[in-house]
Amino acid sequence: MDNKKIYAVTGLFDTPDEIIHATKKVSSAGYKQYDVNTPYPVHGMNIAMKLKHSKLGYFALAFGLSGTAIALLFMYWVTAIDYPLVIGGKPFFSLPALIPVTFELTVLLASIGTVVTMLFLFFRLPNNAHPLHDTNYMKKVSEDKYGICIEAKDKLFDAGKVRDLLISLNAKEISEVYYDEDYLKSNFKVYTPQFMGFLLIVFIVVSSAIYYYNNKMLYKPPYNWMMEQDRVNPQSKSSFFADGFGMRQPVEGTVSRGHLPYLYAGQPEEAGAKLVNPVSVTKENLALGQKKFLTFCSPCHGNFAKGDGRLNNLFPVPPSLHSDKVRTWTDGRIFHVITEGQNLMPSYATQVTPEERWAIVLYVRALQRALNAKEEDLK
Amino acid sequence: MTIFAVMCAGIFPLIHVGRPWLDAYLTPYPNQHSLWVNFTSPLLWDVFAVSTYFTVSFIFWYVGLIPDFATLRDKAVTKIKKVVYSVLSLGWRHSNRHWQHYEMVYLILAGFATPLVLSVHTIVSFDFAVSIVPGWHTTIFPPYFVAGAVFSGFAMVQNVLIVVRKIFNYEHIITLDTLEKMNKIMLLTGSLVGYAYAMEFFIAWYSGSPIELFTFVNRAFGDYAWAYWIMISCNLLLPQLFWFKKLRRTIPVMFIISIFVNVGMWFERFVIIVTSLSRDFLPSSWAYYKPTIVDFGMLIGSFGLFFTLVLLFTKFMPVVSIAEVKAVIKGAQPSHHEDK
Amino acid sequence: MSENQVLFEKKKIPLKLSIYGILILIIGVILAVIGTAVDPVRTYFNSVIGFTFVFSIGIASLFLVALEYLAGAVWSVPFRRISEILAGLLFFVPLLAVPVFINPHGVFHWSDPAVLAQNPAINAKAPYLNMTFFIIRNIAIFAVAILFYLIITRNSQKQDVSANQNLTKINIRLSAVFMPFFAITITVMSIDWLMSLEPHWFSTIFGVYYFSGSLLAALAALTLIAVYLHERGYLMKGLNSNHFTVSVH
Repeated sequence: MDNKKIYAVTGLFDTPDEIIHATKKVSSAGYKQYDVNTPYPVHGMNIAMKLKHSKLGYFALAFGLSGTAIALLFMYWVTAIDYPLVIGGKPFFSLPALIPVTFELTVLLASIGTVVTMLFLFFRLPNNAHPLHDTNYMKKVSEDKYGICIEAKDKLFDAGKVRDLLISLNAKEISEVYYDEDYLKSNFKVYTPQFMGFLLIVFIVVSSAIYYYNNKMLYKPPYNWMMEQDRVNPQSKSSFFADGFGMRQPVEGTVSRGHLPYLYAGQPEEAGAKLVNPVSVTKENLALGQKKFLTFCSPCHGNFAKGDGRLNNLFPVPPSLHSDKVRTWTDGRIFHVITEGQNLMPSYATQVTPEERWAIVLYVRALQRALNAKEEDLK
Repeated sequence: MTIFAVMCAGIFPLIHVGRPWLDAYLTPYPNQHSLWVNFTSPLLWDVFAVSTYFTVSFIFWYVGLIPDFATLRDKAVTKIKKVVYSVLSLGWRHSNRHWQHYEMVYLILAGFATPLVLSVHTIVSFDFAVSIVPGWHTTIFPPYFVAGAVFSGFAMVQNVLIVVRKIFNYEHIITLDTLEKMNKIMLLTGSLVGYAYAMEFFIAWYSGSPIELFTFVNRAFGDYAWAYWIMISCNLLLPQLFWFKKLRRTIPVMFIISIFVNVGMWFERFVIIVTSLSRDFLPSSWAYYKPTIVDFGMLIGSFGLFFTLVLLFTKFMPVVSIAEVKAVIKGAQPSHHEDK
Repeated sequence: MSENQVLFEKKKIPLKLSIYGILILIIGVILAVIGTAVDPVRTYFNSVIGFTFVFSIGIASLFLVALEYLAGAVWSVPFRRISEILAGLLFFVPLLAVPVFINPHGVFHWSDPAVLAQNPAINAKAPYLNMTFFIIRNIAIFAVAILFYLIITRNSQKQDVSANQNLTKINIRLSAVFMPFFAITITVMSIDWLMSLEPHWFSTIFGVYYFSGSLLAALAALTLIAVYLHERGYLMKGLNSNHFTVSVH
């Protein structure tokens, strides 16, 4: 009793009016290190204690905004930078689809952040070793009484004066509250050997469980059924089909994408009469025609279609394309030759698309005009 | 109750992914496949929404309980109770310097929880609404589901409240006025749900799409007509009885109506899912769904889990917020306060 | 009478406000006439916008009055009269619809038989979207809405003089009956006047969408007027920021 360290002097009151009045008096007496304990928040107490408004609202705003920012930035990185995938034909970073997650993370971070800030930063809880715990004062205040507690830390503190003040305010059960000696003397350490040993055991158990799960369990039945199922793997043999092939032939009559049937197969005169060059005479089309001609036609026909190809007579030489016969052919007739081939020339339909064939026709026509130029052409 | 219901509900997505042992794939963590989750998928929105809802509700619930745990700690008789409640109350001292921040945070949490409730059920409705299945692809699903959630939630709370108030003799705290107001809200939300039914039906005709019209006519007169009409009578017709003040203030009547509302809302989910799936775009999968013992087992199991948790809660924790009720009874606040 | 009687004196709104109002009305009518002559279809679309906007404020103000009666709200009583007056807009709203009926084909494509012949999808909606039914619907809705407005506001004004508590009970009952009617009204008007502008399109949430917009507009109109009047001392002295914060939310 003698060398016990005093924490505060406390007094109890019966009604809310009394406690408000008492608080105002204590506050105007100049005490700063005091507290009021009530079983529920009493209206007007904040004003009586001259407390400033709580700043937790700003914390909530800050946490909420960071939640939004973190969500959006993370999802942007995932969807547009790290592993972009085309989902449903939508853009990589499609904001409308990402709103639900953004909203949820905003609320989550704001709530958790505010509550954690309040409990750990503002209140410094959990704290079950506070001097007020287990006192009669606390028991009464938890139930239905209202109390004032003036701490010894206050500059104006004097046990006798405080007592007198509380008596003058009609407080009941005025008592002193002392620090718990054992608690003050104890040197509480968090990282004891026992705790470290416990952490080590937890680490070992969790790591082995995860290792077993990811590397062993997922490969055991029934967890491996999806991996080990009978299925056709690409470009491999398969016991599922009679011929042992995993890759199947397309069904009879399958056509490739963009394929159009050629209407004049075996009918060169019809083709010459009916087909009209759909490709217009532009620089791009001529350039395309030139490129394709040089690639596919010039080995046999020569760069200028004169029949002097670079095969050097190792293969029968085709006639020149500047003969009167070819010059009077229609575009469609030339198109037919490229499509079907004639005599020794094979069909080039599988190598040159129809549009490219028409471009080649344009180029041939340009060559024909160039090697048989008239005065007007030079203008 | 929210938390226990969310816990029960959360189990089902973890199962219906098909390979429950890979549920961890639902969360975006860096992995050796270099893969991320699909943030544009409603199933993933569900993951975020339900887990956020659970977390925030839990925090809201716990923060509200802190002062009550402190009171229980100070009244504890046995050592175990003392230790448990001390830990749970975090050492709360009822200090007004703390109450000041506490009130602000509780208000903020309530302010967050309200749009969260709306968003959670909106996102759940997106599981259906963003598909193209006829009967699911309607724009009214979000408000429809939210109104339906409030409706069935109030019915469930009504049931539990009536039982609790009888057992614990809380008639003076949970008054008949409170119950009457809850009935009015059930009338309102039930009518909103009915409005959604009517709108869907009208627009199914208005759209001119024979598929949409078929879907809704099929609901009312097809294989599952029995389920549809149970739903209509329980959700729309029965709550209309609450227009009558006498019925609003009769306990047995409101208890029975609440039970039927819950039944009706279960059938609503059944009708939405089963009727649309039994006639979707793949005729080879058209069939008449017959639930097996597994389906019933899971349903009963979820009821079991829910009620176990609720009963454990009512045994060990205060069902009524002690501090809040103390603050609003007569004589609780000083008589000359101007601060509102 | 009782000790809770609030003494009030009637203050007249300054004349210049009425003059401004009439001036704007005249300018509006002149502009509408010019518009109809210069670009009729565009003017009709504008009149649809004006119609739906002002209608939404009118009907949602009546909804607010009914809601406040049903919820037993006390905090809103000082400015409930403003909402009641705003609901009186319902009388004038049909005038805004007049330009459209000069030639509805440009605005409401479903009223044009030529369009119907080419569009089986719109034709399918013809049992609902035809001019006759359209006009009957609109007349019926306005008639009933104005009836509700007249009865509820007359009761409210009668209470100014007689302080009869029974009138509140009657108004609460009327408000309860008004609610389902309001749901149908707001849905039908939004479908008729807005959704049918694009007859190929449909949305089940449209009624709800229009409702939330109209509630917002009515609250905003109420707040603007209430702030204006409060600053000039026309309203109860006891109004403080809490009233306005709640109404903005």
